[in-house]
Amino acid sequence: MSGPVGRAAEPSDAVAGIVPKVVYTPASVEEAAQVLAQTRTMNAAIAFVGGGSELELGAPPRALEAVLRTERLNRIVEYIPDDMVMTVEAGVPLASLQRTTAEHGQQLALDPPSPDRSTVGGLVATNAFGPRRARYGSIKDLIIGATLILEDGTITRGGGKVVKNVAGFDVPKLICGSLGTLGMVATATFRLHPLPEASETVLVPGQSATTLRALIAAARDAQLEPSSCVAFWRQDRWDVAFRFEGFASGLKQQTERLAAIGTEQKSSCDRIDSAAAQELWSEHDHIRTQAELRVKFGALPSDLTSIEAEWLAPLLRTVGEAQAAWHPTLGIGFVSGRVLDPARTAKALESLRSALTSRGGSLVLTAAPAAVRQQIDVWGPPPSAFQLMRRIKDRFDPDARLNPGRFVGGL
Amino acid sequence: MSSLPKAVLDQLAAAVGPRYCIADDSEIRTYESDGLTSFRAIAGAVVLPNSTEEVAAVVKIAKAAGIPIVPRGAGTGLSGGALPIPGSIVIPLTRMRRFLEVDPENGWIRVEPGVVNLDVSKRVGPSGYYYAPDPSSQSVCTIGGNVAENSGGAHCLKYGFTVHHVLGVRMVLGDGEVVDIGGPVLDVPGYNLLGAIVGSEGMLGIVTEVVLRILRKPQATRTFFATFPSTDEAGNTVSGIIAAGIVPAAIEMMDRLAIKAIKAATQVDWPDVAAALLMDVDGPLAEVEHTAAQAIAVAEKAGAIEIRRPRDEAERAMMWRGRKSAFAAMGRISPNYVVQDGVIPRSEISGVLREIASLSSRAGLRVANVFHAGDGNLHPLVLYDASIAGQEKQAEELGGEILKICVRVGGSITGEHGVGADKAIYMTEMFAEPDLAAMNLVRCAFDPERRFNPGKVFPTPRLCGDRPGKYVPHPLEVAGTAGRG
Repeated sequence: MSGPVGRAAEPSDAVAGIVPKVVYTPASVEEAAQVLAQTRTMNAAIAFVGGGSELELGAPPRALEAVLRTERLNRIVEYIPDDMVMTVEAGVPLASLQRTTAEHGQQLALDPPSPDRSTVGGLVATNAFGPRRARYGSIKDLIIGATLILEDGTITRGGGKVVKNVAGFDVPKLICGSLGTLGMVATATFRLHPLPEASETVLVPGQSATTLRALIAAARDAQLEPSSCVAFWRQDRWDVAFRFEGFASGLKQQTERLAAIGTEQKSSCDRIDSAAAQELWSEHDHIRTQAELRVKFGALPSDLTSIEAEWLAPLLRTVGEAQAAWHPTLGIGFVSGRVLDPARTAKALESLRSALTSRGGSLVLTAAPAAVRQQIDVWGPPPSAFQLMRRIKDRFDPDARLNPGRFVGGL
Repeated sequence: MSSLPKAVLDQLAAAVGPRYCIADDSEIRTYESDGLTSFRAIAGAVVLPNSTEEVAAVVKIAKAAGIPIVPRGAGTGLSGGALPIPGSIVIPLTRMRRFLEVDPENGWIRVEPGVVNLDVSKRVGPSGYYYAPDPSSQSVCTIGGNVAENSGGAHCLKYGFTVHHVLGVRMVLGDGEVVDIGGPVLDVPGYNLLGAIVGSEGMLGIVTEVVLRILRKPQATRTFFATFPSTDEAGNTVSGIIAAGIVPAAIEMMDRLAIKAIKAATQVDWPDVAAALLMDVDGPLAEVEHTAAQAIAVAEKAGAIEIRRPRDEAERAMMWRGRKSAFAAMGRISPNYVVQDGVIPRSEISGVLREIASLSSRAGLRVANVFHAGDGNLHPLVLYDASIAGQEKQAEELGGEILKICVRVGGSITGEHGVGADKAIYMTEMFAEPDLAAMNLVRCAFDPERRFNPGKVFPTPRLCGDRPGKYVPHPLEVAGTAGRG
């Protein structure tokens, strides 16, 4: 009897700082299921790794014997351009998926950072999104089916391969953002969108939190429909980028209307060329991927005015090379920087977190040096429905061996 | 009189007030079915709570007495999702219809589950907002029912289903515990429980408050109605429009029989043709002018006979009223009908319509087709006469055959009506045993005693000790003493 054979792990195989003993790289969904079944007989804790772009996210696993890398699960299982639906294996990098769909004028309408590195399985596990979430949502809004391998090696399918489908409970949506703690995402099926004919980025610089709020309200009143909207923090002001995508005639009208709003509010309103636009949008990706300290936070869009001066700015003052971006139509922000004084930064993070949670929001450290992690929980207080989440975890992973302890509240 | 013990009825009456605890047989019968009237059963009691606390109290009474619960909205569902379990407590949420909070700036509204779908848009309409999901029954169906069924509607092609518009819920679980899940702020850490709750057909708990996303109204909408010599040309038009990179807000197809019925039931002046499309594009004005012109060019090239653009909002509303009245209109051309709700990949539309036509002629039963063509969601209406012995069964069988075709070509047994009691037997066409076992893990995490809506969705009985992949029937099931589900 021979099961899947792994290789000895190396330091570079670490998950949230913990190095496993063995690494498996199955070449098929069935083989991945065998890895799960086999590690179960040893009651070995296991984590799933795709491109490794989010390995700093979460608490270190309580135990980690094995890692299953999805790099050989790299097939496009089915793509029917006429139906605008695609099924891929977990290890397919987003960029490679997008190259295939682009040949047919289509896209997965998802633009997280690091598309070359990020794989489908990891994107599902982290409920990935980028600036285009303003129009298309996050991956949970685009997934229509999945193969999930359960902890005991059972291969299960949920959802389907048609966009509209309400048969049975939607397990694929439940696993979005579950960080590999409920099972292994082996394949995922997505609805696709047409690639836009044209794209236009407009920058409205020099806003305060208050004028930013008025600007967004005016853009909404004018029925503008940006596909992305991000405010970049510039020490004493916010530069707001709007991206419009669609048919060229529609873009022209929208950028003109935005310019009229800018004039009314006495702001400049600059259409920027595609190279400058690309630079600006990649700056957003940098904030989410580059620095040693990276934070994601959520608040009602209108709450920026009340949190900025008292809590957000003080946090930014504690770190070097501080950067921040705020999605004013979503109510999601990102902060990044270099930690100068861990105790001071941790204190500022706690203050901001408590201001956010008292307003129904949250703050997560998506990456942080150990000296900061020692002083503040990366996830923050468990959400109100935590006991229910615990029960979900206990049902799907009764022996707690899937990425144990890495997710919120020790799930 | 009610089959429930008097002591239980007394407790229920004390929890919600005697007026709202219905135990009288003739009144209970009012709730014997939902929109799928061929399935009927008599509840033990019908209890109408007026608050989360009252719902929790009723759930605790049911738990202590070991009685199943069937939550219910307006009862417009078409899959028997709100069909009573005999002797159960049916809990309509229709008294809970308050608007609790409205926050247009941040794009959300908090409502109770008994609020009618269309009333949300009416409420936020004056400030320029609306609630996107628009099931055809939207003037009567409730938000709670929409959450249970993950309701869609014509305009979900562009805007998504209920699940894309629910930001949070307050929910009463099987032990009477009240939990808040999600809320107006996005991405609070934790599992995406809402993804499982929306569309769970009342089997996980009772939702007593819902936070919905509301959207700014689009600047402009362009509508056109086009007629075709056959459904082939209409289908090619749909494919051509999608291939042109257009995402219509809605694109609906009707065949000859459906058009005939709609004409008989409403004031529309549509011609007698083999197929028609009704389409909306919406968004910024210049964009919709462009996409509407492009879509019309596609329709003309595909062989449209006639293309009409409504002159004003009244005429547009009339066109849509025609489409949305299609199911009820069947009464004008047939004594009875069954509605099916299958989904197929868009590229399979022509072939599947031909198969349906041949099944129809073989069975000698007429089938009218009305469907959401953009996402391949078919609504075949099988017409029959219940006074002819055996015809109802034959119609149901024909509907079942159509569902099997949908699954065979890679589709689904339900796009928006839900599985309910009606389609539980077809779940195995679409899902294997381990798939159902995984769904059952979700159910057991929420409701281990299977208090809520037992017997729906799952095709076979299923207890909560099951482990996926090695299902062994529980001895009680084998002995036939444990209920289904």
